[in-house]
Amino acid sequence: MNKLSTENFQILEFDVLPTAAITLTGEQIAQAIEISIKVKDQSRQWQIYLHILALLAFQAWLGEREDSLTVNQEKCTSFQPLLVQEIAAVANLQVGKFKLCLLTTDSLSDDQIVVPRAVIELPEYIPHFYVLIEILEEQETAIISGFLSYEQLIKNQIKANLQPEEDWTYLVPINWFENQPDRLLLYLRCLEPNAITLPSINSQRNQIPARIQTELLALLPKLQSPECELWQILTWEQGIAVLTNYELLNWINNLQQQVDSPTDNYSQQNSLRDLLKLLTQPAINVGRWLRNELDELAQEASWRLLPNLTPLPVMRSPVEEFQIITTQLRQRGLEISSQAQGAYHDLILAKIPLRLYAVTWDIRSESDPYGWTLLLVLATDVKNTLPHDLKLRISDQNSILAEQGISQEQGDAYLFTRIIGSLNEKFLVSVSLANRIELTLPPFTFYH
Amino acid sequence: MGVSSRYWQIVKIDAAGRRQVREITPAKEFLADVFPQIRANNQDNGVDVPDTSVQSVLLPLSRNTHADKYFLAERCLLCFISWEIEQVCLQLTAAFGTDHGFSVHDLFPHVLDDDGKLKPVDNYQCVSRQVLESWNPEKSSLTTWTNIRVKQYHILNQFLLERGVYLVSDWAILNDTKNQQLQRILTEFYSFAPSQILLAQQLLECYHAIYRQDRLQQRALGRRGKCTIPTTQQLEQIASLFRGKTGKGFSSEMVMSQLQEIAAQLRRYRIHVRGGPLPAESMDVSDRQLEDIKDHQNEEVEFLELYQSQFLACLEKALAVVTQSRVNILEKKKGEQAKKFLLGLQLFHCQNLSMTEIASKLGLRAQDAVTRLLKLKDFRTDVRRELLSMLGDRILELAKSYAHPDKLYTLEQQIKIVLDEQIDQIIKEAEIQAQTAKINPQPTSLFNQKLCHYLDGINKNI
Repeated sequence: MNKLSTENFQILEFDVLPTAAITLTGEQIAQAIEISIKVKDQSRQWQIYLHILALLAFQAWLGEREDSLTVNQEKCTSFQPLLVQEIAAVANLQVGKFKLCLLTTDSLSDDQIVVPRAVIELPEYIPHFYVLIEILEEQETAIISGFLSYEQLIKNQIKANLQPEEDWTYLVPINWFENQPDRLLLYLRCLEPNAITLPSINSQRNQIPARIQTELLALLPKLQSPECELWQILTWEQGIAVLTNYELLNWINNLQQQVDSPTDNYSQQNSLRDLLKLLTQPAINVGRWLRNELDELAQEASWRLLPNLTPLPVMRSPVEEFQIITTQLRQRGLEISSQAQGAYHDLILAKIPLRLYAVTWDIRSESDPYGWTLLLVLATDVKNTLPHDLKLRISDQNSILAEQGISQEQGDAYLFTRIIGSLNEKFLVSVSLANRIELTLPPFTFYH
Repeated sequence: MGVSSRYWQIVKIDAAGRRQVREITPAKEFLADVFPQIRANNQDNGVDVPDTSVQSVLLPLSRNTHADKYFLAERCLLCFISWEIEQVCLQLTAAFGTDHGFSVHDLFPHVLDDDGKLKPVDNYQCVSRQVLESWNPEKSSLTTWTNIRVKQYHILNQFLLERGVYLVSDWAILNDTKNQQLQRILTEFYSFAPSQILLAQQLLECYHAIYRQDRLQQRALGRRGKCTIPTTQQLEQIASLFRGKTGKGFSSEMVMSQLQEIAAQLRRYRIHVRGGPLPAESMDVSDRQLEDIKDHQNEEVEFLELYQSQFLACLEKALAVVTQSRVNILEKKKGEQAKKFLLGLQLFHCQNLSMTEIASKLGLRAQDAVTRLLKLKDFRTDVRRELLSMLGDRILELAKSYAHPDKLYTLEQQIKIVLDEQIDQIIKEAEIQAQTAKINPQPTSLFNQKLCHYLDGINKNI
């Protein structure tokens, strides 16, 4: 007999399902399919499909064995469009008082499991327990096969000197996992959550985005190729910044989507710079202006409140000046609420004295219960006109919203723009001259 | 040496599902014409013609459909295959039948579907014809090929899966293998050359892009069941993708055989891993800890005496909570499962019946169905956990144990001993040895006393 016959003959071995095997229902499979085929990156769909099956099987198992525990998947990474692609595990699943991370093994039955570095190293995703679930997709069966506490994982990791792989994963031996899922149930039900200490976020961490700004700017062209995985382009430190700042992850993801319609590099750089500032700098709460108050940050940045706009005139220069501007703006058809409150800030850019007015009012409605708006007017003193290459730029977490320059129709007395935001949304305002002299102000936000 | 009668006698099942062996006279005569030496030894049905020689003559005859007796050559081979199919059924039954509640007669109808007619009457292709048609004598013997095809036959697989026995297909293994896993396995387990590994990885990637995607699409349409052999269209798509990636032109057949080769390598690795040492119990909570607990049994008795009243009250409540929760779930299923569950629990714990006896009393197919319904070990574990949770709320001194995983586990094991030290072993034996007569689950144990008392109460009301 030749090679194929003898060898294949022996390897067609049947396996036996344990009594505890969970049969997946058609409904569960349909649900997992529905979620996974929505994921844009097709190459990840299969893995995500298995993850969702694991999640559904785990919930069914809990329902049968310990129905007093509530499962909360609100923060679960599997339901967040970007994280589901970047973190190959079901992380941040809250069960009772504990945070879990579900990992899947499959019909290959490997003796090692690929675990994303993020769920081992980043406090945002580190669970109390890692739960191992075997998914036999073909047999429509799931087996809850083991678990491992975070503490135990770290102990083993140190003992075995386990190092991360270059693709931001760890290869964890399956035999590190405790193979009695009953014991997991015992812990989930009876253990005090503080019995397992989880690391907190390092205070140095929020400085990373600022530190890596230059590096990221240099990597922009590479980041634009959608075929590349993040780990192929970024260092792990840069990766941390991306994986822990959803806005940054979103921004990069958008960049990869835009590959067909590339915007110019200059504006992308500005947009990324603005985003990193938004992520790291504290914001002025303009909501307080409505109560005629400046928060500390606004005071430090020497913003001055404008008296209420409606009862006219108080004959002080900035106010007077602003009244003229608002009257003109209203004549042009721009609506400014009589409830609006504003402040102004004097700045000097390349020796040119400028004044930025910011006016805010509430535009809550049924469809947007948290709406607010911000009108920004950039002017100079009466003696001067604005330089022709002056620009006023506003960005949010996703992109540059507006970039205003001097135009024929607006004249050269002032630049203005109005933006609409929702609760806790932040905006960054920058003033620049074409020769790249730029001034960025602390971000604005609004909360009650 | 072959037994020539296997070429003119067919193993089949009759209308009542019984095994029968039938002689097909035209096949017998045909074989004797082709191999005159068989006629000479006819008396004892034995002849010195090895199977490989017989088959190498019969196969070309059977495939030459222009020849007037091709169907007789075909019939001889089909007869031979039927005996091989029977062998596979016997092997499977010997390996799994007892534990999983099926006999060889349950398997026959799924695979012995050849009616023995000289030519097929309709388009239905019985299993043996499928085997014959796909057989390539260059690659394997007919015995081996029958074994491979029958074991992978989807209807048989489905039957076995329902009884907890399964065979993973090549395509499922390929679906589930990540590219970096393949690289690691081919490097570390097989020590293949990097160029060879890269090629395998690229092919796997192309397979994933086509086959996984199609599987997801089929699932989206509600299709169930095994992964099917890639279609010609799928193989062509994979080949074209592969050409785009590597510049290498592979025919569909080459793609197929390469993929099967990779799957076979993964399968061997899989057997190695699964056959290896079982996963360690845990890294540092050892059996010794359990031994320690058993050594200090007196302390447990003290523990029980100290909190006796709370303990007993909580035990009763815990039994009720867990039983009720089971009943609630089972009530949603069909076939009076909840009732059977309660009765089964009582028959086992209070009347000491064996699993086989319980199966027949509950009208269940076999003891493994009882095992799946009662899940005795899970039940007791869930009761202990419920009890522990209740005790934690009531006995402050216990609280410190709830703040440390190992202490909590120790406490749970203590409770287990107090309730009934032996029961796990008894359940295990009962579940494995379906046929053993009476087993004795210590009706005097605390757990059983309370459970039977509780069950008496509710079974009266059913």
